[in-house]
Amino acid sequence: MAKSTIYAGLEIGTHKICVVVGEAKRDGAIKILGVGQAPSRGVRKGEIVDFEKVQTCVNDALVRAEDRSDVMIRNVFLGVTGAHIESLNNRGRHRLPDEQTEISEDDVEEAKEIARSVSIPQSNVFLHSVTRQYIVDGQEAVRQPIGREGRVLEADYHIIHGVRGRVQNAIRCVREIPLEVEDVVFNPVAAAQVVLTREAKMQGALMIDFGAGTCDYVLYEDGMITASGCVPLGGDHITNDVSMALQIPNGRAERLKVEEGSVLYDEVPEGEMLSIEDDTGLILGEIERAFLNEVMNLRTKEILIQVRVRVEDHLGRLGAGIYLTGGVSMMKGIDVVAREVFGIKVTRAGSAPVSGITATFENPQYSAPIGLIRYAQILDSEKPFLSPLKRLGRRMQELLSSVTL
Amino acid sequence: MVEYDRSQSPEGASTAAPRICIVGIGGAGSNVVDRITLDRIVDATLVCAHTDVRVLGHSMAPVKIQLGAELMKGIGAGGDPDLGREAALFSRDQIRQAIENHDIIFISAGLGGGTGSGAAPVIAEIAKNTGALVLVVATMPFSFEGRRRLAQAEEALELLQKRADALVLFENNRMGELILPKDGIQKAFNQADQLIAQSLRAISTITITPGLVKLGLDDLTSALANANGRCLFGFGEARGQNRGSEALKKALKSPLIDSGRLLHQTKNLLVHVAGGESLTLVEVEGVMKQLGRHVPDQTHILFGLGVDAKLGDAIAVTLISSLGLNQLNAHATAAPPSEMLQPRAEAPAPAPAPAPKREIPVKKAPSPYAPPAESAPDLLFKSDEFASVPAAGDAFPLNSLQAEAAKAPTLEQPVAHVEEPPPFDTFEEPAPPPVLAPAPETARIPVRTPAAKELADAARSNSKESTLAAVVARSVTLQTEAAEAQDDLISFDEPEPEFESQPASSGSSATAVLSRKSTAESQQTFSLGEEDRGRFKDTEPSIVQGEDLDVPTWMRLKKKLRR
Repeated sequence: MAKSTIYAGLEIGTHKICVVVGEAKRDGAIKILGVGQAPSRGVRKGEIVDFEKVQTCVNDALVRAEDRSDVMIRNVFLGVTGAHIESLNNRGRHRLPDEQTEISEDDVEEAKEIARSVSIPQSNVFLHSVTRQYIVDGQEAVRQPIGREGRVLEADYHIIHGVRGRVQNAIRCVREIPLEVEDVVFNPVAAAQVVLTREAKMQGALMIDFGAGTCDYVLYEDGMITASGCVPLGGDHITNDVSMALQIPNGRAERLKVEEGSVLYDEVPEGEMLSIEDDTGLILGEIERAFLNEVMNLRTKEILIQVRVRVEDHLGRLGAGIYLTGGVSMMKGIDVVAREVFGIKVTRAGSAPVSGITATFENPQYSAPIGLIRYAQILDSEKPFLSPLKRLGRRMQELLSSVTL
Repeated sequence: MVEYDRSQSPEGASTAAPRICIVGIGGAGSNVVDRITLDRIVDATLVCAHTDVRVLGHSMAPVKIQLGAELMKGIGAGGDPDLGREAALFSRDQIRQAIENHDIIFISAGLGGGTGSGAAPVIAEIAKNTGALVLVVATMPFSFEGRRRLAQAEEALELLQKRADALVLFENNRMGELILPKDGIQKAFNQADQLIAQSLRAISTITITPGLVKLGLDDLTSALANANGRCLFGFGEARGQNRGSEALKKALKSPLIDSGRLLHQTKNLLVHVAGGESLTLVEVEGVMKQLGRHVPDQTHILFGLGVDAKLGDAIAVTLISSLGLNQLNAHATAAPPSEMLQPRAEAPAPAPAPAPKREIPVKKAPSPYAPPAESAPDLLFKSDEFASVPAAGDAFPLNSLQAEAAKAPTLEQPVAHVEEPPPFDTFEEPAPPPVLAPAPETARIPVRTPAAKELADAARSNSKESTLAAVVARSVTLQTEAAEAQDDLISFDEPEPEFESQPASSGSSATAVLSRKSTAESQQTFSLGEEDRGRFKDTEPSIVQGEDLDVPTWMRLKKKLRR
């Protein structure tokens, strides 16, 4: 086994397509080797609507990433999102055979199997099923049940599932580039791996990845993933609101939002005006700054409220508060609005320190793609060690099964 | 040594196959019969009996009986079991003709309604008198259908219990969980019908087909023996490698068994394993061992084994058991509202609500309140040829006034509920904050969706000068040249009736509140045009509580303020 492994994460976002190449050292450190980015076309609300445009953009990003990192990218971890993705928690209960008192690996497998046999719509497919905890004879929060004495073993699972066709489409789109998809990851799950520290997860934290197309969230409680999901509203909606309120094209509205916009309008002096220029620098007209901010404020607040509605039940137990990440989290004043909406501590956060190009990991826009690298590393460390021959065999198996998918 | 050929055993194929008849009564019953007709899963005479001639016309069963043709004139029983019973009595000769000369008669009915609960006991009695084995497969009504229907169903159940050799009871509330919340109601009912049809087939094959380890009707009844029990049924069939455990897994997956979770409490469990000639002992042993993990030690397992050439290389596992309603409810996570069912289940014999005149056809209806003669057998009808049939003398409640009294609260319940003040009334109470001042009538907007409420709250709390109305006003005045176009976008006139103009004179205040509420609801949905969604116009709409969130927030808020 090599001393370190190189992974590539691909996030097809609504605003940008991003490829991050990272090196995972055996000691757990991650070094970012290169980032390739291209503006995204043909993606709406986190989902691909135009295959060809997206493929061109992914190619652009890929070439840039390969260039900078000097790595040939064959396999990627693909981040997906979209309104169709849902999550639920399920518990599988397994009673040990009578003659047996010690929990064995088979029993754990059995409990897992039962927990996973939850009924999801037929058109849906599991994206993740994460073990939250085991419960042995009613004793909660057991991390490692094998070898313990017990009668009844329960496995508590967090299951994330999405519509098969839509997930499949994203995979197909990437395969045609051609790139091999190693795993599909729900974006916020990946982002949480680098945004939330272990302490934050233990204390309870809600991470909101506020992107252009969607607003994804993951909620951790006692170090366990408890809720996750996607609100199909994002920065594009803010831009759209601005563009329609001011009757200006989308591109200009976007620029206005990023350069001048803020979601705080209370302290804007009355009558402060902003001039709107067209592409040539010609001044088209003036608007009141407070008005722009209020339009943005209304939408931002609404989106955050939509997130709150979905996690309402768990809000009381978040010691570490809210972590805002994603492109929109850079918007001025959003932390104040989020605090207003949720009533708890709000932190704007990018990825936790990783070595490499510093400008990248500090930017909350890259939380999800960097998270993909971290996710890949975690996934690999959980895998049992396989001899190279076995790994080859497994690869072949995967290849074959992927053809029949 | 003389070899004993099992295929030549007396109960084998050499004897004439038992004649089976399946009777579907009422709407639910005829649906099941339709399902069986379509799937052709059981080789049986299929009979559909209904009071409603239209339903009967749609039925696919080869034999159709219109119950009480002269009495009902082809109209349904309208939820009155008395009518259903009388209709069945009127047509009893026809019924007997149709079901005569069968060895086993299945009766399938949905209890709670008029025809199902009324006619099923009568038909069961007729069936019993033909000398056949009578098996009843019935469904209990959904809890949302109300207590009255539940009472009717339980009354019918009591009558059926005495007449049927075995009673398989399904809880509709649990059936609802068969399907996912997203699926259409049509699918839900189809699934339920399918499950019942499947259980019919399983029971008939188990009790009829010859087996290496044979299960009889006695085993079935003991598996189902449970006070106020509901049937747990699971069926799985699998082929190929590992087929035994696959089949068992499928059987356990049946929502009526809830991944084996419900089996933890059962006292008796009937397991039937059937396979083709390739069935091995190891496989059977594996299945039973695997099943053992789901079942506590003290459970009595009634094991049956059959070899059926028709199965080919497949293995079929059938699980049948029953669980008391209390236990079932305690277990079911998405159980029906407990207050609806729990007290019922504890009261052993619920007062049969609308049954003061049960013996009408024979006697000349003495007095509805007169207690019946002590010796009168509990027969649904008396006619010469049936008079000799003994039946347990179970008189109906001594005092029908008591029954009347018991009925009263159930009727009052919904009324009281209606009169609760609707939530948005409180919203109208506070004096309109300055934010809304520009448009005073907007103080009466019924803001109910949480998001909208929040937004409105937010708008109010910002008691600074920048008011929401001002925002909107500014948005209009902002553009000088494009003012008209913008106005078109915003004003978007919808013909919307005012609340105040609603008919407040319509009877009681409760109905007035209701009607007002419903109009408010219909107004809440925005039928904004595609152009309002801007760049999202060709994407999938993000509808939350009737609002398309792709439409700019300010625009939606404005529409609310306008009203």
